[in-house]
Amino acid sequence: MQSVFPYLVASSQRNDLQVVRDSSPELWRQVRRYNQPVQLALAAAEGVIAHASDPSAAAVISLAPCQPGSADLYRWGHVVTAGMASGTLGNLRMNPTQTLHAVDNLALSAFAIAHNNRSYCLGLGGAAGQAWCGLEAVCERLAYGTEEEALLIAGDQDAAEDGAPALGVALLFSIRAKPYRPLGRTVRIKEISRSRERAARVSPHAAKGLAAFRAAIAERPAGVFSYAVPPEHTDGFSGVTVTLEIM
Amino acid sequence: MEDNRRVVITGMGALSALGATAEELWNGLLANRSGVRRVPRLVQSGIAVTTGGEVDAVSAENVDRDHEIANRAIEDALAEAKRDAAECGFIWSTGLDTFQMGPGGFVHRSAGRCFSNLSGRFNGPRRMIAAACASGTQAVGEAFRFIRNGHADACVAGGSSVMLTPFYLIGFAGLQAVAIDNGADPSLACRPFDKRRKGFALADGAAAMVLETLAAARKRGATVLAEVTGFGMSQDAFDLNRPCDDGAGAELCMRRALDDAVLSAEEIDAVNAHATATYSGDLAEATALRKVFAGRWERVPVSGSKGAIGHAMAAAGVLEAIVAAQTCATGIVPPTVNLRDVDDGCELDHVIAEPRDVDAKTVLSVSFGMGGQNAAIILKRI
Repeated sequence: MQSVFPYLVASSQRNDLQVVRDSSPELWRQVRRYNQPVQLALAAAEGVIAHASDPSAAAVISLAPCQPGSADLYRWGHVVTAGMASGTLGNLRMNPTQTLHAVDNLALSAFAIAHNNRSYCLGLGGAAGQAWCGLEAVCERLAYGTEEEALLIAGDQDAAEDGAPALGVALLFSIRAKPYRPLGRTVRIKEISRSRERAARVSPHAAKGLAAFRAAIAERPAGVFSYAVPPEHTDGFSGVTVTLEIM
Repeated sequence: MEDNRRVVITGMGALSALGATAEELWNGLLANRSGVRRVPRLVQSGIAVTTGGEVDAVSAENVDRDHEIANRAIEDALAEAKRDAAECGFIWSTGLDTFQMGPGGFVHRSAGRCFSNLSGRFNGPRRMIAAACASGTQAVGEAFRFIRNGHADACVAGGSSVMLTPFYLIGFAGLQAVAIDNGADPSLACRPFDKRRKGFALADGAAAMVLETLAAARKRGATVLAEVTGFGMSQDAFDLNRPCDDGAGAELCMRRALDDAVLSAEEIDAVNAHATATYSGDLAEATALRKVFAGRWERVPVSGSKGAIGHAMAAAGVLEAIVAAQTCATGIVPPTVNLRDVDDGCELDHVIAEPRDVDAKTVLSVSFGMGGQNAAIILKRI
């Protein structure tokens, strides 16, 4: 299924919040109360948004984390469990900031607030393989909507524990031909095709699939490139191939 | 518009506090009845909020409850449409993660895992929508666009939520969004637009619709329940926890839905409101509706369903779209259960105490999510 052939303009990846704290204090001030996947998704978004002609007018498609929440939230879950066991639930009060950590569209809304963006937006949930639905949605929106640019952002973590490895990725697309910065060439999506596959073992993670896709592009010479999404990054039911034209 | 670009609803399934079918939901609303009640397991837990919209069809002790209530709604919608899942795409929201006490202790179930379990038997797009309380409406809207743009002939769209647990109730109480018990009749907990409103009643629920092209429905001889003619969404871009006071984000999504349907506000016969019964949410919504309908706002009947079924989060927008479809089919606008004294600033043409037969053919249904994500769809009798 393909609707338009958008150009990949810029991409960004973040995996270290300490770097965000140290190098971007203003960004850290904005994101510090969120959970790690959301913080990294928003930090990655800041890495590409400077290349957007108008961040307030771009379509935004955001992937919720597959390993949602935060260490705080999971600790809270166990506090509730203990409270139920001891009959002391009535005394518990939850920090409203931690309630935010359970919200599925947090990165999308936080981005919209930061950039005054009221354009088309789509939050996709934390299920395996939604990254490719996000890429398809970019193509659809740039074909049928009024926006000229679309941002795809994702953040996730390996586990909801303090210090668990985490990753944020952002990809910026445009209907206008612009060179993809790392390559100095234009990179255009020509097709995203799906095939029905036998159920595969998947590794649900909102950002790893896009990071692998980004890495694969970084090594490519000019020409047509068909990127077969590794089965662990799919939804387990569909084979996905992204065909790119690198000029 | 050509029949292969018009999108219609041919099947619906609903599990709510008013019952396990779309018909029970509708009949309960027409009877001005609330299904919100005191929930024994919440009373036993000792928390301050003990009322909610419980779904009785699947036991609360069943740790597969998230999957099972969704599946029942899906099966009912497919059966009514006489469709097989393998012929349909799947656009669904399973809401937030589920935190329950099971026989073996605390159970955390990822919303994504629930979605993946549900989606395997569908073909075509399998998209999980994450837009907080606007998820259900956005799922229907995205399915509508997907079919209208020729990417699928049919989709099951909907949402499900299992959130009536101490984990979420304490969390929403911290946000001052749920109504705290005050010893009154528990069925009165949620009072949209009313002077005595104190927040919503959290609820479990699931709702599904089969959407397909009018051409496909006619070819199959399927019964068409309503047509979807427009979808709009927006971001408030204002605050994570509260809407803008002037309802600008809500207004924008409604105007986008009207533009998408190529309709003017003059052509809307009734509104199914989000109507959460939060103080600021109801004010912002009423303000937005008055702006959209301008000089006509006193003559457009408005009804909300959450007084009767509570707030089923990811399922809410689809449950309300089902009510809107039934309004299109019958022309009747159900009352907003528990609304008696309209609050200052919430003035609209509220339907109170009993249903109103206005021969409504075109209905706007709206949802506004936490974080400021808004969605609106327009349904029409065909």
